Amino acid sequence: MKTRLNFRALLLASTLSLAALSAEAETLRVAMGYDPVSLDPIATSDNGSIWTQLLIYDTLVRPDATGTKLEPGLAESWTVSDDGLTIRFKLRDAKFSDGTPVTAEDVQFSIARAASEESGWGRFYRPITRFEIPNPREIVMHLTEPFTPAFNNLALFAAAILPKAALEAKGAAFFDAPVGSGPFVLKKWTRGASLELVKNPYYWQAGKPAVDEAVLEVVTEPSARVIKLEAGEVDVALDPPLNQLAALKAEPGITTGSVTPYRADFVQLNTRYAPLGNEKVRQALNYAIDKTALIKGVLYGEGTPAASAMPVMAYADPALTPYPYDPAKAKALLAEAGYPEGFEAEMLVDSGIATQRNTAIALQAMLAQVGVKVKIQMLESGTQWETTKAGGYQMSLSYTTSDTIDPDQIIGFVAVNPERANAYHTEWKNERLNALYTQERKTVNGPERGAMFREMIQILHDGAPFLFLYHPATVWAEKDYVKGFSVLPTSNFRLEDVTIAK
Amino acid sequence: MRILIHLLRSPAGAAGLAMLALTLAATALTPWFSPWDPYALDFGAAMQAPSASHWFGTDNFGRDIFTRVLAGAVFDLRIAVVCVFVPMLAGTMVGLVAGFFGGWVDAALMRLTDVVWAFPFYVLVLAIVGVLGASEANLYIAFFLVNWIGYARIVRGETILIARLEYIEATRVLRFGKLRVLLRHVLPNAVTPALVYAMSDVVLTVQAVAALSFFGLGVQPPAPEWGILIVESIDYMREAPWMTVFPGFAIVWIGIAFSLVGEGLSVALKPKG
Repeated sequence: MKTRLNFRALLLASTLSLAALSAEAETLRVAMGYDPVSLDPIATSDNGSIWTQLLIYDTLVRPDATGTKLEPGLAESWTVSDDGLTIRFKLRDAKFSDGTPVTAEDVQFSIARAASEESGWGRFYRPITRFEIPNPREIVMHLTEPFTPAFNNLALFAAAILPKAALEAKGAAFFDAPVGSGPFVLKKWTRGASLELVKNPYYWQAGKPAVDEAVLEVVTEPSARVIKLEAGEVDVALDPPLNQLAALKAEPGITTGSVTPYRADFVQLNTRYAPLGNEKVRQALNYAIDKTALIKGVLYGEGTPAASAMPVMAYADPALTPYPYDPAKAKALLAEAGYPEGFEAEMLVDSGIATQRNTAIALQAMLAQVGVKVKIQMLESGTQWETTKAGGYQMSLSYTTSDTIDPDQIIGFVAVNPERANAYHTEWKNERLNALYTQERKTVNGPERGAMFREMIQILHDGAPFLFLYHPATVWAEKDYVKGFSVLPTSNFRLEDVTIAK
Repeated sequence: MRILIHLLRSPAGAAGLAMLALTLAATALTPWFSPWDPYALDFGAAMQAPSASHWFGTDNFGRDIFTRVLAGAVFDLRIAVVCVFVPMLAGTMVGLVAGFFGGWVDAALMRLTDVVWAFPFYVLVLAIVGVLGASEANLYIAFFLVNWIGYARIVRGETILIARLEYIEATRVLRFGKLRVLLRHVLPNAVTPALVYAMSDVVLTVQAVAALSFFGLGVQPPAPEWGILIVESIDYMREAPWMTVFPGFAIVWIGIAFSLVGEGLSVALKPKG
């Protein structure tokens, strides 16, 4: 009897304390334009999914805030052997959000899963051929041949560490209510509308996250995100319309922030389409673009001109300059290539993004100056992606962002053919670049590997399978009382350090 | 000609015709009184408020909105008129045949209209444009496939009524050819309500074309079609409301003009007696 009473009292007390807690629970509300598709890290490549996953799961190592090196994640420390064939991790004392400890067993399971056939990122992890678990807090990964990006790839969202037991028990349903060791836990997911996250009580960074809850609201219309911020319905609005930035900065109670992430915007040129198969034509088009005017008129100054389709990141060559705006030279090159009167081409454009629409219209006017008549075809982003993938296009306005701090991911995507995407579906091929890519992946980090990247990017610049445009900044607007919010160079954001000082 | 005189006598019809004439004249004469190119970019002149040199202001690319709205009228009017009158012709023929011959011909044609009618208009047009791709030509195909239904039904109803009237009975007694009766005696009377309906249909079609272009399913940029002008203005609505307001006003203006003409027509065509 007595014990029962005690139990009741305990229950009552805990209910009361919970109520007290929720009364002062601090919620951070973020409006973002992307609608996450799935929380399964090996099945996704869209930004909404990736950013959300990185709030729920941890990786062994992760890019630091400057985007120049990796910092400890679930791994407390690590050693990479001189030949690069052995990577040894010591895990920290961390728990998943269901209270079970993170073990080397979970790490092996997660990395093996990321390397599996069902994974969209398999080739990033397949070079890791063998695991060794000396004790539950230590794991050794063995490679059979050198693969320099291996270590870096472990910082990618696809290598998120998942609880083996829970995932095996639940199967695919696990990702509807996932369990991770990251700062937040998914409470409620209203598809297309919002994701409600609560703080993970077992999170390994003591005292973090500072807020109790974080709500990610999916608001696809950029102006609507700003209106919600002004109305106080959200605390942070990601990607406000760039043209409204000046007015937002002037508004009391609102601050704006901006970082230049690892991103490059460009137009894919399908080299299988007759005029675009000619290198001189592709270079001519690059000379015909006034990038300064684009950045001023479309990005409202929030960007820098691009010299290639590679984001400016590790091993970038500061001496590589963008194609200058020179319509006379463009016309001369077109004439040399046998197109003195120009030609016609169709450009696919994502209808959902205002900046893309505006850039397309500006490009159309600029290319018309040298006789190239561009027909714009607005498409929904998924259709645009599928169409370029199938190769049935001429030009397509697109961009790429790097999820890691090593340039290997993006060079393999935009410049190497076939590798991952036939040089991002341009079907352009350069044997020297392909050879450098194979070599780079076997070369340890250092000046030698850097020289290989610089040569590859120079070849890409000269071969011009893209119209190189700009590196746009990522911008956000927030209420004054939000402290510590920032977007990382890898384009995602972390919320564990954000505080609300009302 | 008599219809036109009647139309001009009704105040609504006269006003509507005057508005249409003004629009067409302004559109045709744009190059003479506007120094601006509707397509040329000038980032230096971006988002200027309405002024003496830019009557409707400029857009985010520095293009003159007044010139663009007028240039856009060509697109919207052309599409709306073609999308109404071609299906009207087809629908009228179907309605005439169905109403005049009756029996299984009528049953078959009307079941066909039922099938098309069963789908909500926009869903059907979206599906057609979705399958064929977004372009002006495909917009025509989509509207042609859907828009004839209304006319077929209206004309069929009128035809059934007219076929029972005494003067048609008389043509039977006189043993006139069926085709002659149909085209010379039934058609002129059966088509009048369809003509009135067509006026309001033009209004709805202008809106539908603008709406489809708004969703990226119609005409493609940089064509200054009004729906495109509005969708391009969304993110600038707060700083440069003139980018949205004037194209919106143009749609309302054309809507009122055609509605007034329709109103006038219904008065002018009303049987006297």
